[in-house]
Amino acid sequence: MKLLLAPAVVVLAVFAAALTALFRWSLLEFIPGSLQTGGLTLANFRGVLAPQYLDAIRDTVVLSALTTGLTLVLSYPVAYALASTPSRRVRSVLLVLTLAPFFTGAIVRTYAWVLVLGNTVVTWPLPMLFTERGVLVGLVHFSMPTMILILAAALSHIDPVYARAATSLGARPSRVFWRVTLPLSMPGIVSGCLIVFAWTLSAFPTPELLGGGKVKMIANVVKDLGLDSFNWPGAAAFAMLALVLTLTLLVGLGRLTGGRAA
Amino acid sequence: MTMRSRLIVAILATLLTLPSLAPAAWAQNALVVSVWGGNWKNTVESVIGKAFTAKTGVPVEFEVGGTIDRLAKARVAKGSPLVDLNFTTTHVARLYISDGLYEKLDLAKIPNAKEIAREAIRSDYHLGTWAYVYTVVYRPDLVKEEITKWSDLWKPSLKGKIAMPDFDPSHIITIAALMEGGNEVNWQKGEARLKQLKGSIAAFYSTDAQSQDLMKTGQAPVQVMLSVNAYHLQEQGIAVKLVQPTDYPGIVGIDTIGVMAGTKKSDAAHQFINVALSKEVQTELVKALRAGPVNLGASVPAGLRGQPGIFTTTAEWKERGYIMNDEARAKTLAAWREWFTATIVKK
Repeated sequence: MKLLLAPAVVVLAVFAAALTALFRWSLLEFIPGSLQTGGLTLANFRGVLAPQYLDAIRDTVVLSALTTGLTLVLSYPVAYALASTPSRRVRSVLLVLTLAPFFTGAIVRTYAWVLVLGNTVVTWPLPMLFTERGVLVGLVHFSMPTMILILAAALSHIDPVYARAATSLGARPSRVFWRVTLPLSMPGIVSGCLIVFAWTLSAFPTPELLGGGKVKMIANVVKDLGLDSFNWPGAAAFAMLALVLTLTLLVGLGRLTGGRAA
Repeated sequence: MTMRSRLIVAILATLLTLPSLAPAAWAQNALVVSVWGGNWKNTVESVIGKAFTAKTGVPVEFEVGGTIDRLAKARVAKGSPLVDLNFTTTHVARLYISDGLYEKLDLAKIPNAKEIAREAIRSDYHLGTWAYVYTVVYRPDLVKEEITKWSDLWKPSLKGKIAMPDFDPSHIITIAALMEGGNEVNWQKGEARLKQLKGSIAAFYSTDAQSQDLMKTGQAPVQVMLSVNAYHLQEQGIAVKLVQPTDYPGIVGIDTIGVMAGTKKSDAAHQFINVALSKEVQTELVKALRAGPVNLGASVPAGLRGQPGIFTTTAEWKERGYIMNDEARAKTLAAWREWFTATIVKK
C-alpha cells in the first residue's frame, strides 16, 4: 500500500521544492538593472501591496465570481438537455457542440473573440473589447464546456424515479425542478463552480488578449513583474500572495458548501 | 549464423548507424546561436549563418525563444553555457553583462567592427547588429488627419485610437520627458504630460504580434510602434504610414550580439560577429529585416533610404534617432513600469 503512494509523494516533493524556491525568491532583495539579488527582505511583499496590485487581486476575484455564476446559469440548461433528452441524435449534437471549443486552442478562441468583440463584425452598443465585459465573455465561453460536462454527469446520475414520484404526487414540472432535480444536482454544481472559480483565478491569455493591457488579473501581473520589469523577487512575492489568497478562498468555499462536491 | 551472414549483419548495422552519427558529429561541431523565433531566426540563419558556414565550414544551430526565456536559461546555465552567441536588445544585454554572462569581446578578432557606427558599439561586451526606431505609425484610411509629430498624439481627435506597448513604456515616457525639457534620466518631468494622453489610449500591447493585429483590425489605428513591424505590415498590403517626427526623433532600438562567458567556441563566435558586421551581410540584413544597418558602408535599397529607423551616415544616427542610455534604461525600467501601470494603465 505504501509503495502505491510513492508516485504521489514524488509529485508532492517536486511541487514542494518548487514552492520553496518561489518563497525563497520572494524574500530576496530586487536590484534594478541587475539579475543579482541582495539579502533577505520583506520589501517585495510591501511592494506588491501597492494599490495597482491589490486592484488586480480584487478584479481577479470579482471576475472569477462573475464568471462562475454566469457559466453556471448558461451551462445548466444545456447540461439538463444533454442529460435528459431521450433522442440520441440531439444528445450527440449537443455533445459535439459542447466539445467543439476543446478542439481549438485557447489562443485561437480568444483571437476569434477579439474580432467578435471589436466593432469589425458586430457593432456593440457598449464598448466590449479591452474592457472587463469583454474579458468576462471570453472567460465564460472558455469555462462553459467544462461546467456543462460536470453538470451533465451529475444530472445523469439522478434517478428519474424521484422526479416521477414528485409528479405523481401532483407537483408541477417547475416545482419538480426546484425541489427535486436542482437539490440533487448540487454536488455537480459545487464541483463545477469550484473548478471554474479556481481555473479563472489563474486565467492568463483571455485577460491578456481581450483586456488589451487594461484588465489585469493575477497571472498577468506576475508576468508583468517577472518578464517585463525583470523583477523576479517581486513576481515571486506576488505569486506567493496570490497562492495564499487562492487557497484561502477555495478552502473557504469548500467549507461553505459543506464538502458537497461530487 | 555463417561467416557470410555475420558480415552482412555487420555491414547493415554500420550503414544504419552512420546517418545517426553524422548529425551528432555535426551538432558537436556546430556554433549555437540564441535568437528570437520567427522572421528573426530565419533571417539570421539565411543571411549571417549561411555566410559564416560558407566562410568557415562551421555549421550553425539555433536556440530560439523570447527575450526573457533565453535570459532565464542563460542564467541557469551560467559558467557552462548551452549557447555560444546571443542576440538581444541592447538594454537587456546590460543584464547579461551585470550577471557575468557575457565574455569581453576581443575587437582584434572582429576587424569589421571598425566600420560600424559609433552608436553600435554598445560596450566592451556587446555590439549592435541592426537598428530600428519606435515611432508613430498610423493608418491614413482610418485617421483622416495627417500625423507629422509626436505631439500630434495629444490631439483630441485621436482619442480612443492609440495603442502603445505596456511591456516597455520607456519610449513614450522618454518622449514626454523630452517634450518637457527632460530626458530618460529625469523622466518625471514628463509625468503630467503623459497623464493627459491617458484618455486617448485604446489598448496596450504586450507583443509585436498583438500590435500588428490591433493595426490590421483597426482597433488601434495609431500606435507607438516598432518600425520593423510597420514595414512588415506594409509588405502584407496594410497601408500604414510611418511618421518621421518633426518635433523629436524616434526612439532608437538596437539589437545586439554578445559571446557567452565560458563558451568553448569563442574564436568561432568572434568570427560569426565579424561576418554579421561585414558590409555584404549588413546589406542583406537591411533587405531582409527592413532594419537599419550598423555598418556605414552597407548598401541600402533606394526605397528604404531616409526612412524611419534606417540610418546610413554618422549624421543620420545622430540627428534622426534618440538613443537612450542603456544602463539608465535597464535600471529604471521597473520603476517606469510601476508608475506607468499605476498611473496610465489603471482605469
